Amino acid sequence: MKTENNFLIEEENVYCGALSCRGCGWSLLARHISSVMGTKTVYVVPACCFSIIAGPYPMNMLKGTVVHSLFAAGAATATGIRHALERQGKNESRVVVLAGDGGTFDIGLQSLSGAAARGENFIFICNNNGAYMNTGVQSSTATPMGAVTTTNPDGKNTNAKDLMAIIAAHNIPYFATASLAFLDDLKNKIEKAKTITGFRFIMIDSPCPPGHKYAPELSIEISRLAVETTFFPLYEAENGKYKINYFPKKKIVVDELLKQQGRFSHLFSNGSSKLINSLQKHVDVEWKKLLTKVQN
Amino acid sequence: MKTEVAILIPKRKEIKRHTKKVLKGNSAAAEAAKICRATFVTAYPITPQTTIVEEIASMIARKEFDATSVNMESEHSVFAALKGAALTGKRVFTATSGQGLLYAHEVLHAIAHLRLPIVACNVGRPSYPWNIWCDQSDSIAQRDTGWIQFYCENSQEVLDTIIQSYKISEHLLLPTLVVLDAFYVSHTNENVFIPEQKLVDEYLPSRKKSDSDIDIDNPKSFGGLVAPDMYDKFNRLFWEDMNKVEDETIKAGEEFEKYFGRKYAAVEAANIHSGTKIILITLSSITTTARGVIQSHPEVGLLKIRLLKPFPKKSILKILKKVNGACILVTVDRNFLGDNEGALMQEMKRALYGRTGKIFGVYAGLGGRDVPPSTIEKIISIDFNSAETKEIIWIDK
Repeated sequence: MKTENNFLIEEENVYCGALSCRGCGWSLLARHISSVMGTKTVYVVPACCFSIIAGPYPMNMLKGTVVHSLFAAGAATATGIRHALERQGKNESRVVVLAGDGGTFDIGLQSLSGAAARGENFIFICNNNGAYMNTGVQSSTATPMGAVTTTNPDGKNTNAKDLMAIIAAHNIPYFATASLAFLDDLKNKIEKAKTITGFRFIMIDSPCPPGHKYAPELSIEISRLAVETTFFPLYEAENGKYKINYFPKKKIVVDELLKQQGRFSHLFSNGSSKLINSLQKHVDVEWKKLLTKVQN
Repeated sequence: MKTEVAILIPKRKEIKRHTKKVLKGNSAAAEAAKICRATFVTAYPITPQTTIVEEIASMIARKEFDATSVNMESEHSVFAALKGAALTGKRVFTATSGQGLLYAHEVLHAIAHLRLPIVACNVGRPSYPWNIWCDQSDSIAQRDTGWIQFYCENSQEVLDTIIQSYKISEHLLLPTLVVLDAFYVSHTNENVFIPEQKLVDEYLPSRKKSDSDIDIDNPKSFGGLVAPDMYDKFNRLFWEDMNKVEDETIKAGEEFEKYFGRKYAAVEAANIHSGTKIILITLSSITTTARGVIQSHPEVGLLKIRLLKPFPKKSILKILKKVNGACILVTVDRNFLGDNEGALMQEMKRALYGRTGKIFGVYAGLGGRDVPPSTIEKIISIDFNSAETKEIIWIDK
């Protein structure tokens, strides 16, 4: 059903009453994904915040089939469902994994890699909020350097894993990054992924007020800053051909992004500018690497 | 000697509908997956299971077997993919062993409590100390996952048990693990009667469609967070159905005899009567050796446990009614579980609670150690009435 007063959501495929925190990236993302995917979609949800948001038994927030799966087994469960639906001739159906960063970068990496290497025909979406938020903000390998979590109370001392490089190494037909602050770009990418056959991967930079420690109304602003600072650049690769979808108009230093979030506040209060410099350096190096990939 | 069940050669009438082949236990398992018309099979290699999934892949490649086979990257994923496919209503199959089954442990719980009628084979081997030979500690470690467990004595039983397992599983919506001994059964060639496809189809029609299957035109949610009151209820319903397994096993075995001319039950008794002085209680291929030995020991009986989980207490107590109170029970366990008693001893003690009489537990054949007739002879020659004889005995000490 077309919602008259909302030009972004053409078909509202979520019910009201999602159990997310205020300012959560997940519920906004679920609205956009389900709007593009339609109801003939099976969403496979390995343990993550969305396991709760989607609703406890017997509720279902999405107008579509939801299969809650074991933490490590999102991509494997989706593999079984996809093949079984194809044997039933249900080729118009779609299978989409909705995973957090733990179920993608860490415990879910093995089954994700297996499915990507086999070229399984489904979409894997990672809502990356940079820590285990559902269990109360513990570090994952997606947690950025410097961020305070309950398991790194002094701040994490290693950079986030370059998961996109691992994904790229699987030579899949489509992968992309996307942001909730750039909805047209996000929607284009979901729509593109929908039309392609084979393994498709989209990573979303997801705002998390309780985990990143900021006021809920700042979610979109902080997401936008992550793109503007090239902390989280927007790009896609179709059949290995990279394209940057957004070039910041002027260079903004990462300080602007970090100081908005309580998880980085110790970097400013105790004068550890060394860490901020090192984060800036990391961001610059990664952006240059990305520019090189586009030129090739 | 009186054998009460297990007639593995089809009767004259039914034999016409079988082909005779010489097959290893693993080949019998692969053949069973085909004739049961599993349509989705996942594979990950582990010794000594590997030839099962290899043979299935080869039959699919030769277009003799219409199924989708996917090579997964671990056993955790093997069972997770089966779970996904089974949720859509498909009949699915896989096989694993030892570490592979242990690695899939988490998924086994999920499959059972999603009430998916999956049938899988396990070729029993241990994990650590590292060993690839015959042992039951891998599957025994899965006793509490909610899967039905059958233990097979030979290749024919592997084939027949898989067919019956789909019948029982799909009726009760509970998964079944069919266990065969590493090498002694998995890699040993034996005569096997393979039923014709039509006969299997008559006994085992396609899996029925259910409102609880994934149906993209009728969306629902599966496996969401369950609150305490519903959790309790789901477990009670599971318990009610688990308690039907013994009767359903007997029923499926009797019906199987009508179609295939071979009879099965939850347990098998041989030479158990009022004069029996010792009863050996066994699982799997050790039973075959014991069968031979007791031929020359009319005072020794044999109780083979085919259905281990849930433990067939009713069938066992019925058989034990025939013996007098002085009859000694001896369990033979090929599994060490980090406790005093092995699995058969634990289960028997549980079943015999409140009953008088002596029971001893013997450890034999662990990690593939041979259990020749002389070992069985050694067991039955123990003076069980001596005060010196301990309750738990390591026979090859």
